[in-house]
Amino acid sequence: MKFGEMMKRVGLMVAVLSLTVAATAALYRAPDPPARYWVYVANESSDLVSLVSFGPEGAVLERDIPVGIMPMDIDGAHGIRVEPGGKHFYVTIAHGTPFGSLWKFRTSDNELADTATLGLFPATVGITPDGSLGFVVNFNLHGDPLPSSVSVVFLPMMAEVARIQTCIKPHGSRINHAGTRSYSGCVGDDQLVEISVDKMEVSRRLLLRPGKEQLLTGEPPAPEPGDGRCGPTWTLPSYDDQYVYVACNAHNEILEINAETFEIERRFKAFGKPYNLAGTNDGRLLVSSNKGAQSVSVFDIAKGEEVARIATTQPITHGVVVTPDNRYAFVSNEAIGAVRGTVDVIDLQSFERIASVEVHHQPGGIDFWKMEPLPE
Amino acid sequence: MKLNLAALLLGLSVACTGAGHSVESPAPAGASAAQSEQEQQQEQQQEQQNQEDENEDADANLGGTMEAAASVDLVMSEIFPAEIVLTRGDTITFEGVLRDAEGNRVSGARWGVFPMPAIFAVQSIKTEVPDSYLLWGVGPGETRLQAVLVLSDGSEVEYEPLFDIPVTVKEWPAARIEIDDPAYGTYASSVFQLTGTVITTHDTEHATAVIAWWSSDPEVVSVNGDGVASFNKAGSAEIRAQAEGITQVIEIQVTENPVAKVTLGPEQSEVRTGDVVRMQAELSDRAGRSVDDAHVAYSLSALEGPAGGAVVYSDGAFVAEEAGVYRVMATAGGRAATAVVSAAPRSIVRGAELIGRGAVSYVQTSDLWVFEGRDGRDYAYTGTHAEGGGQRMFVWDVTDRTAPTLMDSIVVDARVVNDVKINDDATLAVITREGASNRKNGMVMLDISDPAHPVVLSEFNDELTGGVHNVWINGDVVYAVNDGTNAMNIIDISDPASPKHVGRWEVRPGEEDKNLHDIWAEDGFAYLSYWDDGLIILDVGAGVKGGTPRDPKFVSQYKYPIGNTHTAFRYGDYVFVGDEIFNCAECTNGPRGYIHVVDVSDIEKPTEVARFEVPEAGAHNIWVEDGLLYVAYYQGGLRVVDVTGELRGDLYAQGRQVSWFHTAASEGEGIKANSPLAWGPHVFKGYVFVSDMNSGLWVVQLEPPSDPLLP
Repeated sequence: MKFGEMMKRVGLMVAVLSLTVAATAALYRAPDPPARYWVYVANESSDLVSLVSFGPEGAVLERDIPVGIMPMDIDGAHGIRVEPGGKHFYVTIAHGTPFGSLWKFRTSDNELADTATLGLFPATVGITPDGSLGFVVNFNLHGDPLPSSVSVVFLPMMAEVARIQTCIKPHGSRINHAGTRSYSGCVGDDQLVEISVDKMEVSRRLLLRPGKEQLLTGEPPAPEPGDGRCGPTWTLPSYDDQYVYVACNAHNEILEINAETFEIERRFKAFGKPYNLAGTNDGRLLVSSNKGAQSVSVFDIAKGEEVARIATTQPITHGVVVTPDNRYAFVSNEAIGAVRGTVDVIDLQSFERIASVEVHHQPGGIDFWKMEPLPE
Repeated sequence: MKLNLAALLLGLSVACTGAGHSVESPAPAGASAAQSEQEQQQEQQQEQQNQEDENEDADANLGGTMEAAASVDLVMSEIFPAEIVLTRGDTITFEGVLRDAEGNRVSGARWGVFPMPAIFAVQSIKTEVPDSYLLWGVGPGETRLQAVLVLSDGSEVEYEPLFDIPVTVKEWPAARIEIDDPAYGTYASSVFQLTGTVITTHDTEHATAVIAWWSSDPEVVSVNGDGVASFNKAGSAEIRAQAEGITQVIEIQVTENPVAKVTLGPEQSEVRTGDVVRMQAELSDRAGRSVDDAHVAYSLSALEGPAGGAVVYSDGAFVAEEAGVYRVMATAGGRAATAVVSAAPRSIVRGAELIGRGAVSYVQTSDLWVFEGRDGRDYAYTGTHAEGGGQRMFVWDVTDRTAPTLMDSIVVDARVVNDVKINDDATLAVITREGASNRKNGMVMLDISDPAHPVVLSEFNDELTGGVHNVWINGDVVYAVNDGTNAMNIIDISDPASPKHVGRWEVRPGEEDKNLHDIWAEDGFAYLSYWDDGLIILDVGAGVKGGTPRDPKFVSQYKYPIGNTHTAFRYGDYVFVGDEIFNCAECTNGPRGYIHVVDVSDIEKPTEVARFEVPEAGAHNIWVEDGLLYVAYYQGGLRVVDVTGELRGDLYAQGRQVSWFHTAASEGEGIKANSPLAWGPHVFKGYVFVSDMNSGLWVVQLEPPSDPLLP
């Protein structure tokens, strides 16, 4: 099937599903938001970070913060993470000459506080709950397929204190809520890698290649002809740290992995190349961005089933974050070429897209900053 | 967050590898340890008081690691080394444990070690012992090792300094000194600069050693601290070179200086500023025989004009920056001769007239290529950059230079189309892609048999998904700058509908720290602009090193301290090499960087001989044709420089700039008005086509020179 034809069919499927959801939602009008919500989103091809708010008047692009060194090249603001407490946010800059970097900004005035040079294509950032350490995957997306690393950065001083070799194309770095384990997926060689935060070394590896899942004691076996790929793009520790959810982007699955045994307990049938994951902090819902299908899916974790699929305003759906009150998911959509991307707001009660705002080119990494009470 | 830390105890053990380390005499570490016991007690009491005062808040606020740190009364009693000295390649392991006053381990507190600045690699070692750090002496130098105690309440983090130790990493020991042979005859009454290289035990050049020189008989040969040897009279002397405990001795025989006469020519010269006069000193002995191996020293004084208005180099090349009359003196063996050079102003300024415009006002413009199409008409293809969405290549009919006409555009999945190149017979265009939506970039081949309406023939991203920044078409292969690997990929386009990889070349294979930016190939050589690796010249069919277009061979490299080598263009015996520098101290109004003029008359020994630098702007792409260098100088607009004849010194100061054109758009005629950001020039059929990032395409023509014999 030609690419264009395939996209038409995918588009049709999304449209049908959207209509279904819309028909269901027609009886429901989302109430005004109970607070004002703020998120940061990194625009990878504009070298801008956008600050977006959402309140009763909808989603608003509040401010753009320039990042990057070389204005004549795309430096590539990719991942973004707001530290616990919200005083700083961190942006990965994918490209340099050649190494990328991690940039630290104050949220009080959105001014640059410090930077740290890391490896090739630093992508996603996981931050320990105390805000002291950042675990940044050096994705090295476009280099030779060689094992890359996770950089550990002492964030108050922005000093890289360890570089831990993990796997090929590590991505989707997240830390558990106890601050003891760092997780990342390996898009290039299908692994889930766990790092002991205290020891700063790899503690366990799980091969995620479909049908060949196993705990690894050494290097992953070379793929054989016919082997499928998981392509794990994201990891998400559950609210209680009992599980790790992994998006198998290449296999349309979300894996639920027992964090103690490191065994796969359940598989959620996903759709449209699930890419990023976010969860409600009550352990009820899991939201995936469907990068290949211009939509997000909402899963009921208890049932392990998709309960809603919501079309997004632009294709290449990338990042997703859920507000601390579990009311909304904010989703970034990259779009294609010169078309500006968007941030959509999804109501997690009605499973309806209730707001959207255009940002810049290729918005990707997104994270929640704060919510404020509305004026009386 | 309130800190309740009274003090701390950090047990530190140090384990070293390699033979060249030392941990200097112990001394108290950190401010607390440096204080007297009494002061420490007072401080502890005060801290305890503070702690009591804050207990309520702490109980309410603290959690996680902060809770652990706050709940104990810690005392610092251990001592740390005052200084660490280790040898390159050696390691020191720190194994630290935080304990409370009772000696119990504080499980929640964390400490870390950081080199500042980070010229050393520091990483945790793979051990069961927590809080272990490995200090690795990567290269020679000095830094400080700082350790901090990390305190957090679970949502915020603060840190307290533990110690701050100076660290010295020494080079590998010296093994030998290689002294260079004198370049001239060792005649009395001459001066020679002694040079040598210290080689380490690892057979590398010693990074820090300085050679000290002595003479066994200063009456024969005296040597100053910089190694300048004066051969005073005939005789023999031992010259001793010492460095890092290694000594090398050579014997120098000084003979009577045979030079009895020096003549210098040309005796009278009338030139313009910027013209190089090759001063020739001829030496002869009493019998009138030529002396070829005696050292000649050249010096200069101004008879009219500024004292520093001209330069004479050690090889006798003279060039004036300012108009004036200069006397050049050549001395050898106590004899001297002079010559006079009169330098008039270069006076070559020519106007530049705007002929036509192809304004682009909603997207940034990138590179361009101008050519005669198969239909006999002239075309300019221009790329587009990120701001506004760089997904297009624009097609301009420029047959009428006064009215570039937008004919068509090609849209590809990209956010930057940085480069555009056309093959020799104008049948194929290659454009580059960066920022593709599927992150599979690469390059796109266009059939331009109808040049006004190109058609996509094929896309190619095998190994090039990271993007291609620049390309060069060399016959039936394309050299592509691979953004992902920073290698030059070689792609066979003999069937442009189905390109194939046929090779790859990269500097320092296996190492990541490199950045290829641009490639230009001509007459069997490829010139790679390799950022901090400088200019690299490859044989791609010149017959020098056996290279072919598909299997390049290294010829030579020229790198310079500031790096940022961005572009290169061969013209005659010179390669014009441009920097691109952002974020420098002087970059208040935009980029900086200049044009290095590199003499490649000996292709295996490139030598920088001159520069062209506009002080207030930054160089970008260049073109050289008919003795004129065209530089798109970003915020400085288009600069045109006379590069005829031999080049030496500071071309800008010599008045070699011929013309300047401000590529600034009027309001509404560009993405940004009155802000030139010239990207690239292309000289075509007597016109200068310039792409400007903020305003699109410009067609400029230089006014004729006032003197037709001059540029």
